[in-house]
Amino acid sequence: MRLVMKFGGTSLGDGQRINNAARIVKEYVENNEVIVVCSAMAGVTDTLFALVDRASRGRVRDVEITLNNLSEKHFKAIDDAIKNEEIKKDVKSIVKELIEDLRRAVLSILYLREATPRSRDYVVSFGERLSTRIMWGALTELNVNCKYLDGGDAGIITDSNFGEANPLMEITRLEVRRRIGSLLDRGITPLVTGYIAVNEEGVITTLGRGGSDYTATILGYCLDADEVWLWSDVDGLMTADPRIVKNARVLSTVSFNEAIEMAIFGAKGLHPRALEPAMKSNINVRIKNTFNPPHPGTLITSKPEKSDMIVKAVLLVKDVAMISVRGASMVGRPGTVAKILETLAKENINVMMISQSVSESSVSIVIKREALPRALNRLETALLGTSLVEDIESEDDVNVVAVIGERMKGTPGVASRVFGAVAKKGINIRMIAQGSSELNISFVVKEEDGYEAVRAIHEEYGL
Amino acid sequence: MGVSLAEILIERSEELRREEGLNIRIVGIVDSSGAAVNDKGLDLEEMIRTKKKLGSVSCHNEYGRHGLNVLDLLDELDVDVLVDATPTNLKDGEPSFTYIKKALTYRIHVVTVNKGPLALALPALRELAKHKDVVFRFSGSVGGGLPVIEFARQCARGDKIVKVEGVLNGTTNYIISRMEDGLDFKTALTEAQEKGYAERDPSLDIMGFDTAAKLVILANEVVGRKVTINDISIKGIEDLEKEDIDEASRSGETYRLIGRVDGELEVKPTRIKREDPLAVRYSMNAVSFTTLNSGRHVILGRGAGGRETATAILRDLIEIKKKLVEVRI
Repeated sequence: MRLVMKFGGTSLGDGQRINNAARIVKEYVENNEVIVVCSAMAGVTDTLFALVDRASRGRVRDVEITLNNLSEKHFKAIDDAIKNEEIKKDVKSIVKELIEDLRRAVLSILYLREATPRSRDYVVSFGERLSTRIMWGALTELNVNCKYLDGGDAGIITDSNFGEANPLMEITRLEVRRRIGSLLDRGITPLVTGYIAVNEEGVITTLGRGGSDYTATILGYCLDADEVWLWSDVDGLMTADPRIVKNARVLSTVSFNEAIEMAIFGAKGLHPRALEPAMKSNINVRIKNTFNPPHPGTLITSKPEKSDMIVKAVLLVKDVAMISVRGASMVGRPGTVAKILETLAKENINVMMISQSVSESSVSIVIKREALPRALNRLETALLGTSLVEDIESEDDVNVVAVIGERMKGTPGVASRVFGAVAKKGINIRMIAQGSSELNISFVVKEEDGYEAVRAIHEEYGL
Repeated sequence: MGVSLAEILIERSEELRREEGLNIRIVGIVDSSGAAVNDKGLDLEEMIRTKKKLGSVSCHNEYGRHGLNVLDLLDELDVDVLVDATPTNLKDGEPSFTYIKKALTYRIHVVTVNKGPLALALPALRELAKHKDVVFRFSGSVGGGLPVIEFARQCARGDKIVKVEGVLNGTTNYIISRMEDGLDFKTALTEAQEKGYAERDPSLDIMGFDTAAKLVILANEVVGRKVTINDISIKGIEDLEKEDIDEASRSGETYRLIGRVDGELEVKPTRIKREDPLAVRYSMNAVSFTTLNSGRHVILGRGAGGRETATAILRDLIEIKKKLVEVRI
């Protein structure tokens, strides 16, 4: 099989873990063509973002300390991941050079007191570049014939939307096939930095949301891989959060559409964008746990096995708030909702849920809780006193419960079963939304009822 | 090829200026030994003389520059359009592929008649051109002077092309035609070479690769399939025997090397009726487009040839001029 294996930040969290990940790769390279994608070591990307921020504010001492910490962290990881002194020496000298490059880049930001999206991408790219070199050392020690490549060298070409670049898929496909294909033909295992790429002029860009997972699925698409494996620190996608529901279990298969719904509602780390290339080319994606490799994980596929499960998962979204806009004059006045959404969009606030009664006399929306004060302020300024709106109310002690399953579509009575189960527990439902795709029913309950509502539905459907 | 283009530009410069508002200044010419460069515009008649007398434009006493290549020129000069008339290389498309990529990256419009980079990377190059918002044209790459792609676009307007079939290679068609006349394969090939239809190494034509390259272009441009030559199943005329043709002719049929796109992508010697419009003779090309609602449309004419292809380049340049006018006003 041709496999793309991506290792997340936690799975490469320290030297020991990198060594562990290398052993997993070693196990598969014997009988498969493996392409390895590495995230940055856990926490490093955040540190690099902070580093850019501190440098642009001119905080010299902070920058020095952070750089030294980063350097220390990686050198320690090398010591723990690799035993062979010669390889260790090689990797150390490569990493030392990279850290010097990083230092120079950060110093230039420091001098200029100016960070552009372009320079930020350059700085944060070092996280993946460093971890990939250490992984290379660990694999070399295990006698795996491998070569490390930065995203751009692997052929991933994007537009110049720094911070969240979009791959030019056809050019990327061509370049990746040329560059990685020739390595695979020679029996060399390519190690590719996740998250980073270059624009058509060769300047480093980052893929933003979806990050290294996106790199993995892009490579999978370009190389016609059989499967893409995303190694992280969870066994897979679950029927519910195990901290809420004790007997929650790992789902063995979900469809792409279900996975996208679950990803939106906070399934750990997975971003819907990352699933796109795999979905387009029907490549299976598997979620696996480096801390529990024998577990089969969750398979995301376009041809899920026939299952009787109508509901696949019940998820709880915390840290949200609800705003209700009421007014009798809103009835029959086109454009009110547009005005609300436009006001929020200008503030860069994302609307997670929206619901309006057919009488049009009230509109409810759900947003992230942290954005509530800003949202309220803007909406009041824009709408109150316009004779259109009577009142704007908000509740910040609410949760969203999302019920997900592809087979809900066309199955009558799902809503009544879901809401019946919740009602039996004496929980009041504040707001409901269901798209016509019927993949997902979402509703709002008081925060104190959130856990209970999830448990009730989980139990009702015997998940 | 370059000389043909230069000749046509000289002959038609007055008319182009008057009719199309197109005043073409050639600021650089590159051949295999070097370049001639003048950012005020080169005198084409002088360049043709230099090329014919001394073998390379780089030997020109004033503007010649030995060893300068296209990449250097793109760095050095501020140009609007790169015209690529390098010979086709179907192995890796080089060096043309690198030239085109660099030009598009620099936001320079590109006209090419080289099938190599198109056959291997047309979807990617189109994507790059679109991303950089420049024009990338190659009408001379299929059917030479025959406006095949434009014709296809007309056929598809308000309709949908469901099938493309074409006799796209003059050399093989000449050979098959002569076999119909009674020659055997080898004699027909030798004759084609003597008459200058076939290259000294005719394998690209005979094995069907040239047809396949053109089919890639049609599949991308006309049917919207993002494919390369690796997606095409290719069989040439190397095993076609005179007996096959004689046998077919007894039932009023014959063979043509036909490239076909419908559900499949295929190049192979195909048995067709003698009165089929694709049964053209000698070095003619013919392409048929079957549409969903308006039936089958066929375009035929002489394919390759220096002046024909040069005319196609000119056609593309006029298109680019139109685009430049739109952008700049």
